[in-house]
Amino acid sequence: MPGGDGPTLESQAWQPVPGAPGVAVYPFIRKIDVVSSNSYLIRMPDAIIVIDPGGLPEQAGMIADLIDDLPCDHKLPVITFLTHAHVDHFLGMQSVPFFADATRSITIVHDTGATALAGQDIRLTQAAVLGQKMESLQVGLRLFCRQEPACFGTLIRSPLPGGTNVAIRYGAWSFGDGAHIDRGEILFGSGSRIEVYHTPGHSPDSICIRVGRLLFIGDLLFAANPGIAGLAGWNQQALIRSLDGVLALLDRDDIDLVCPGHGRVITAKTAQSILTGARGEARGLGGIKELNSERAAKTAVFAEECMEQVNELFSIMAGRLWYVSYVLECLGESAVAAHADSLIRGDVIDELLDAFREFSIEHHANNHVSIHLALKAGQVIARLERAFEKDRLARIIDSTIVLRAARLLSAYISMLRGLPLPAERGRCDLHQILEGVIIGCSVPSYSDDEVLSAADDDETFFPMLLARIGTRPLLEDVSFAFNDGNEHPAVLIDREHFADLVTYILEDLVGNGAGTVSIDMECTGDMVVVRITGSGMTARSPESKVRGFLLWLAGQAGGSLTVDDAGEFRQFRIEIARAT
Amino acid sequence: MSGRVDSLTAGELEQAINGEIGQGHRQILLNFTDVTYISSGGLRVLLATAKQLRGAGDKYALCSLSAEVHKVLKLAGFLSIFATYPSEGEALARW
Repeated sequence: MPGGDGPTLESQAWQPVPGAPGVAVYPFIRKIDVVSSNSYLIRMPDAIIVIDPGGLPEQAGMIADLIDDLPCDHKLPVITFLTHAHVDHFLGMQSVPFFADATRSITIVHDTGATALAGQDIRLTQAAVLGQKMESLQVGLRLFCRQEPACFGTLIRSPLPGGTNVAIRYGAWSFGDGAHIDRGEILFGSGSRIEVYHTPGHSPDSICIRVGRLLFIGDLLFAANPGIAGLAGWNQQALIRSLDGVLALLDRDDIDLVCPGHGRVITAKTAQSILTGARGEARGLGGIKELNSERAAKTAVFAEECMEQVNELFSIMAGRLWYVSYVLECLGESAVAAHADSLIRGDVIDELLDAFREFSIEHHANNHVSIHLALKAGQVIARLERAFEKDRLARIIDSTIVLRAARLLSAYISMLRGLPLPAERGRCDLHQILEGVIIGCSVPSYSDDEVLSAADDDETFFPMLLARIGTRPLLEDVSFAFNDGNEHPAVLIDREHFADLVTYILEDLVGNGAGTVSIDMECTGDMVVVRITGSGMTARSPESKVRGFLLWLAGQAGGSLTVDDAGEFRQFRIEIARAT
Repeated sequence: MSGRVDSLTAGELEQAINGEIGQGHRQILLNFTDVTYISSGGLRVLLATAKQLRGAGDKYALCSLSAEVHKVLKLAGFLSIFATYPSEGEALARW
């Protein structure tokens, strides 16, 4: 999310608009959420401008009060622009009579957004996915209205409340190799002017608004983010074109600050960097599914199952590292121990996971819509990805744990994005895959001989020692048997997901105290059945969310899973189709 | 102990343990009967305690672990550092 990188604009204070003498801006910057956007209030000689009154009645009410309290000789007309007609940007104004008073206030929206508002389009306004109710909203002036062809390239005049007139001139703003975006200029009698650019992609009606050297950019900065990309009305090609256009606009070096719909005001330079990243992300988003209520609900369920597993994996990873550090300190190697500690930010991870849990409890208690939980999980997961050094960690503790954690985080982000989850089902030798997992769970990363032979060379010895301490063969303390029935069946599965599934199951059994574990493979007609059984369990069945996760993983692998749990005995039965 | 040993409560647990050790108690048994979750911060506290109780005559053990806590301790490799017992009674009998 945007952060500060130099002098920007202060929230809730009037300050001059750079490049527009006599014009002042009052930003209302909120903590980032999906309930309400930032609002910006601009005082011009001819009018008061509101950009996005926000999704909350109290926010819109506060803006109305601020306008009423302005010292004016006469009441200036109030022009409310929506950067786009999503409920978090406008819903609050529906409860505030000030904005419905046609003698004082007019709303200006892109033509497509105006149609959505008038027709109570709960899909395009995102009211459906955010669980909001909206009324029909009549827009005073439609921007870029193609049904009025005369408005393109022609100066048109439009009266504002109070008899003030503005002239609007539309045209195209060209950049690059013949590319262009639609542009409009709104000219006031005093000589003040506002520029509007049609920048669809996040929504069909998105606009950017320029006042002086400020650019109000709506949600363009995050339009390629997981959980934002794919909302109804989102369009990949339009977004890339709009990002190209706005980046070209910022290249002209006559915009100082960019005011987003969510998050702090940032410099043009920072915006360029974020928008360039967004363009790269957007290019990879071909074919994403629409993020509607149904998909949001499924994603939210997976979010909780996934976070349960993430919680466990990160606790285990951190625990392994603390263990390595502990052993090293016992060996008098405090410096190496401190280095090991630094590879995972346990405090940050704990806080993130706890924050998600708190959010989830509140979410269920208040029966909030699914998209909130799905987005929160996306936010937490994005931060978790930055809180551990995957590659270096995988050289110390079991790489299977680290890589599974990384794959899980990535799978969630893909699901939130609506991208097909990576699954490469192919013909595989099941025996070989199972044998690989079993060896990985039985053999230390380096043998005693290897460690001893490296003892004279610190550079080789220490990494080996760390890995030897940090990896614990899962099956080392249990009685284990692999009964393959002398078969090498060919099956059609995703090798990686299947190996992960078997590893998770073995961890479940060993972690819950199984003294004996067996894997039995049996071919029956067109199917192969793999039974993974633990006995001597000291703990009860896994939580339903964990079970749900394993069922999902089995599906991803290309099989189906059933679990038989009888106290001290637990059996996981995976069924897979034989490859023909 | 009860509930969750997480980012909010791990510090309290550490303080309580250090308080006991500070008073000269060198034999610590942590009863996890009602603990359903332990975070990485909680794991760190368990190891920090193990570091302090390595002297002759010191004793340190955990008992009555829930499935969730047992699994994390086992997979993190902690069960090779300190003893665990199914119940407080069993721990005290074998103390």
